[in-house]
Amino acid sequence: MLAIHVENLVKTYNGQHVLDGVNLDVAEGEFYALMGPNGSGKTTLASIIAAVKTQDSGIVEVYGKKPAQAKEFIGYVPQENFSSPRLSGRENLVYFANLLGYSGRQANQLVLEMLRSVGLLEEADKRVAKYSGGMRKRLEVATAVFPGIKVLILDEPTTGLDPAARRSFFSMIQEIMDKKTSILLITHIGSDAELASRVGLIDDGRMIAEGTPDELKRKHAVEDVITVETAMKADSVLSVLKGYSINGKVAESAAGYKIYSQNGDRVLADVVRSLDQAGHKVMRIEMARPSLEDVFFRLTETYLQEATG
Amino acid sequence: MKELLREKAALFWTIAWPIIWVIIGSFSFTGSAPEEVVPYIKGSIAISMMVFALMIAGMSNLPASIAGDRANGLLSKLISMPIRPYKDFTGRISAVITLSLLAAALVIVIGFALGARFAGTGVQIPQAIGFIFLVICASAGVGLMAGTLIKNLQGAIMTGVGIAVITSAISGLFAPYEVLPVPLQTFARVYPISSAQASIVHLLAGANMVAYNPLTSSQVTLTIALSSAFLIVGTVLYTRLGWKLE
Repeated sequence: MLAIHVENLVKTYNGQHVLDGVNLDVAEGEFYALMGPNGSGKTTLASIIAAVKTQDSGIVEVYGKKPAQAKEFIGYVPQENFSSPRLSGRENLVYFANLLGYSGRQANQLVLEMLRSVGLLEEADKRVAKYSGGMRKRLEVATAVFPGIKVLILDEPTTGLDPAARRSFFSMIQEIMDKKTSILLITHIGSDAELASRVGLIDDGRMIAEGTPDELKRKHAVEDVITVETAMKADSVLSVLKGYSINGKVAESAAGYKIYSQNGDRVLADVVRSLDQAGHKVMRIEMARPSLEDVFFRLTETYLQEATG
Repeated sequence: MKELLREKAALFWTIAWPIIWVIIGSFSFTGSAPEEVVPYIKGSIAISMMVFALMIAGMSNLPASIAGDRANGLLSKLISMPIRPYKDFTGRISAVITLSLLAAALVIVIGFALGARFAGTGVQIPQAIGFIFLVICASAGVGLMAGTLIKNLQGAIMTGVGIAVITSAISGLFAPYEVLPVPLQTFARVYPISSAQASIVHLLAGANMVAYNPLTSSQVTLTIALSSAFLIVGTVLYTRLGWKLE
């Protein structure tokens, strides 16, 4: 049975389509990443699957039931930090356990297990205000893995986390997956989406591509990616680089300019020479295999914001 | 509840601020009164500030908590869980009642320590406590309405504070009833919080501390009906609309 089934989902706000005929299936025990830029509709989709919002039309099912009837299977971690900073980690979890009907010793025992599973046992009695961003997010994931949860929906869980915290976060997610929990990860970070077994790319409320990370790269971004950092950004740099990129596409990111080429090895030296002749000093130039961000750029000409930290 | 008690700003505005006014009032507003009446004037001031504390607890802390939880994603989280709105509602109301009673007790104790005396005995004390609960109900009702209808955190807080301060000022909570213009005297009798406050003062500080009799059966019925109506409307709004994010 499918853990999540979404068919022809439509959602509009003020007459504008936020989701426009979205289809999505997540198998039992699968780790699926939905990747797209801000405003692409991915958070709206997650909140509809999590029974927080309702669709205008289309089908949404979690284990064959409408989300509102399947809440006991759904663990949802919204994008915002919803845990109370004034309470300790343990108190936060006890609050949710009490709401779910666990009380007294049963709640305490359960919370203890959950704190252990997310690696926060030693910090259990510290106030959340003193937690790092990664610890806080792990605590919030713990609120979504109460017994009976089969589908975990994580909305941008690693935004703002440093690389070490992100690694630690995904180690924890791997342990949750070992319990056959299906995971829907909402993200705009390609390196996070790479960890999923399948990735859906969403833009402007439509699914534009879907497949394993390797399939997507093979199918949509066969070129090498050359990242160029010059002493300063200028239109003349852009015009030089356009001459070397397939279809003249140049992506600008915090790391510099990115161009796409089918024979990067040969182009590399030419790019440096041409920029030098145009009076631009190259600070750094490197070639890499395409990432999921590059796939997204090839499909939409929109460059996703890279991971911070 | 723990969360509210660890929120320094909530504690200040709900407990410390009314106490500051009890202290100021006890030394400033009793100068020309006959000596034997002064303890009861202080008692009346302490009761007014206690009522103001209850108003802030319900009208400001409650919408702040609702709007804050909406802004920080907790409401989304709760909606996604297999729980009914009444559980969340019960928790919020219990927290407001506890904070209100704590604030009321502390304001009265400080007032007493500063010389306030209360004339009420016997059955008048439970009656006064009944009116305190009516103030809590009415304030919580307004708070639920503000927290549900005003989605923005700052807006919800300012609306709650604004309603508390303005209605206190125009209903005679901070000024003797007899100095109010006639339309505001009518408002003071109709508004359930000022009417309940007058009833508490009448019961605990003495009938001569209130310029009208708030304990007539029609007046008491009106106070109970409107306090309950505020709470019912607030509850219905919150459980129907507060748990919707669209």
